[in-house]
Amino acid sequence: MSRRDLLIRKLLLSLVTMFVVVAINFVLFRILPGDPVRAVIGRNVKISAEVQQSLREQFGLDKPVFPDQFFSTLGQWARGNLGVSWSLRKPVAEILVAKLWNTLLLIGLGQILSIFLGVVLGLFAGWKRKTALDVGALTFSLIAWATPTFWLGIILLAAGSSWLGLPTRGIVSPENVGKPLYTVIPDLMAHLFLPTLTLSILYLGEYMLIMRSSILEVLSEDYILTAKAKGMSHWQVLWKHALKNAMLPIVTIVALNLGFTVSGAIYIETVFSYDGLGKLFQTALTKQDYPLLQGAFLLLAVSVILANMLADILYTYLDPRVKAS
Amino acid sequence: MKKTLWFVFLLFALLVAACGGGTATQPAAGENPAPTGENPTPTLEVSAEPIVLHVGWLGFPDTLNPAYAFLTESYTMFDFVYSTLTTQNPQGEYVGLLAEERSVSEDGLTWTYKLRQGIKWHNGEDLTSEQVAWNINAFIQNQDGWVTNSGYITGFVEARAVDASTVEIKLEYPISNMDYRVSFLYIVYPPDFESFATPEDLQNFTNFSPVGSGPFKITTLDKDQRIIILETNADYFGGRAKIDQVIYQTFDNSDALVQALKVGDIDMTNEVPDSAFAAVQTFENVETISRQGLSLTELIINSAPADHDPAPTRNPALEDPQVRLAIASAINKQDLVDVVLQGNGKPGVNIIPPVMGGGFWYNSNIQDVAFNLDEGNRILEEAGYVKGADGIRAKGEVRLELRLQYPSDSSTYPRVADMIANWLSEIGVKATPEAVDPDSLVVATNPNADYDLVIWGWGADPDPDFMLSVMTSEQYVEGGWSDSGYSNSEYDQLYLDQQQVIDRVERQKIVWKMQELLFRDKPYIILYYGNDLEAYRSDKFTNFLDSPLGIASFQSLMQVEPVK
Repeated sequence: MSRRDLLIRKLLLSLVTMFVVVAINFVLFRILPGDPVRAVIGRNVKISAEVQQSLREQFGLDKPVFPDQFFSTLGQWARGNLGVSWSLRKPVAEILVAKLWNTLLLIGLGQILSIFLGVVLGLFAGWKRKTALDVGALTFSLIAWATPTFWLGIILLAAGSSWLGLPTRGIVSPENVGKPLYTVIPDLMAHLFLPTLTLSILYLGEYMLIMRSSILEVLSEDYILTAKAKGMSHWQVLWKHALKNAMLPIVTIVALNLGFTVSGAIYIETVFSYDGLGKLFQTALTKQDYPLLQGAFLLLAVSVILANMLADILYTYLDPRVKAS
Repeated sequence: MKKTLWFVFLLFALLVAACGGGTATQPAAGENPAPTGENPTPTLEVSAEPIVLHVGWLGFPDTLNPAYAFLTESYTMFDFVYSTLTTQNPQGEYVGLLAEERSVSEDGLTWTYKLRQGIKWHNGEDLTSEQVAWNINAFIQNQDGWVTNSGYITGFVEARAVDASTVEIKLEYPISNMDYRVSFLYIVYPPDFESFATPEDLQNFTNFSPVGSGPFKITTLDKDQRIIILETNADYFGGRAKIDQVIYQTFDNSDALVQALKVGDIDMTNEVPDSAFAAVQTFENVETISRQGLSLTELIINSAPADHDPAPTRNPALEDPQVRLAIASAINKQDLVDVVLQGNGKPGVNIIPPVMGGGFWYNSNIQDVAFNLDEGNRILEEAGYVKGADGIRAKGEVRLELRLQYPSDSSTYPRVADMIANWLSEIGVKATPEAVDPDSLVVATNPNADYDLVIWGWGADPDPDFMLSVMTSEQYVEGGWSDSGYSNSEYDQLYLDQQQVIDRVERQKIVWKMQELLFRDKPYIILYYGNDLEAYRSDKFTNFLDSPLGIASFQSLMQVEPVK
């Protein structure tokens, strides 16, 4: 099968997956207990039953869930319209895009750092097995992997703000609000430092451990012995022959993580009052804001599916056997 | 390897930039909020450095449109930006704000408000009596649009501008708490709100650059960064505030908020968590305030009428007044305050918190049931509930086994539930604590009436009407506010009476009587009143108004000044 055929097949499969996810999400949110109108208006506001009913009609909640609500939602989506959030009263797409950039910035930086450091550390640990470096890296990684996100974030926040004078919240300082981010890079860096560090430490451990075991396996293969026998230097062996093969599991795990960190950054976002998608998901859920929830989970599904597709495509480059099958 | 080195260099650069940037952007509020050389702000070169108060809070307004605002944060902003005809003073009494004088006709059906002279909108235009009348009429005529105002204008017929400075509101029947009602009707700038064709259009308007007549103007509202910058309104009819700017910053978790206060990133907050209050008290240069507020926590006892549809699902023993009394005598409210609130509160008695209206509405004659486990045992013994071999009392088939539920989003209720369950076990009542999703709990209490005991809380309004309404049988319908299902025709009638008695002292008598009925029948056992916990940097600001309105009220921020 050619790479193009493979891609088309994956794409079609992804679309089917997406539809199933959408359908499941649609049902899932609606079988949640409670009344969205009450959730949106809260417990302490005095709104007459009639007015509540008119809101219910406005939201389309007076109609049966199936087929009316289901098909009207699908129809809306088919036209590229994700609807208007009930609680935030803004188009869902607009809300999602704004938050997506923030989250991507945080996750992107954090993941790049942790992938890079994790791979390098794992590579060296595996290569220099049973040395102090290996034991040290292994211990650090295990601890980092087991540390609760929230706890690590709070500790770093307290230490960073007290000793380094780093900011305690947000993406930029109040006086820089509204300016394009590229004009306030030092301020942005200061704000991003602690959340990025937290994210990096958390993922670093996982990548390091996987890289280490992967490289150990590869290094015991016959072709490595052959390469060494050909008289290649340690670096050449490691760089040209071992690394590429050892990267396969890392690609898988990174792809999986990328999909899930979009939602998984919620703890970090909460600790650092960082306004990203994680926080938005939480709001949408507590408010039972169906349009926002559906939009958010669609984005989540798309990102997981896309990340998986990306992994599949990368595989065809890294491992010719994938293409051949 | 070149790539590796490049990455290491980048990482190092990031680190240096982060630390360097951090110190450069430390906002030293009260001194110089302006950034350093990297970000010069031209206006600062001519004028003196503005005095900026940084406030930290845990929420963010969902909208600044008074037609569709549900969060307290929105109302905090409304108070800064808009004005109302009346407002509460620090003593808890109502006084005129836009209105200089106000009077009511003999029959109680016409209220006349005489506006102050020279009130201006933030854009410099005059605020007119026609505009005020336009507001009130819009609320009355378009209730589907002005959703949040709809509860305050029931019984209003119409408003009319009598002359350039007088507004008249006609009523269907006399309304006793008119001052309170109009204190929630924010007078908006009509040109911003006139053009919406449907209720939905009106509600979708987020109004994030509001034009008002209040003491502060919003200059920046960034919904993504969740930062609001307010500037002092120099032309405010009540005088100019002593600070130049107020900056609100949202924190998503209270630990970070407390840390920000500690390191001086913020100058004040009125949302110090109970658990952190003791720690905040030890902070250097931080002053703390613990003051009785309007919140209450109660134990709801399923009191739905037997003929309710659907039929109540509960332990039938709860219908016995003696069982309720025994439960009440087995709860050590002082202990709850000491343990759960760390002393920052008061044991509860009535559904009306003691500070409401300066204490005017709270029935102080009612003596609470004393905590006494022996007495609890005696009451149950006399009522015929006999202890079995397992220590649980029973009367015939009815065993005193109860569900004790609470909303799962609370961090304090699990402790409250455990403590109550322990005390109840001492009088032979087995209560099983259970956390329940709040939405499910709403449905379980109303309309399903499927529960025994529930721990929950309210934030009361400044007027007794709302808390009293929660106990009327009229509210025990789907979408209503009653959760106990209490139904008492005498109480219902008194509720209607207190709504229409103009004389304050007469109304007080009725309100006190209603509290007696509730205390007697015990649909709620009020557990405690929690304090408002506030803190500010005393090295930077002084002269906060310490009143039930809170140090973050507009009245307080009008008088705050920097430490010299």
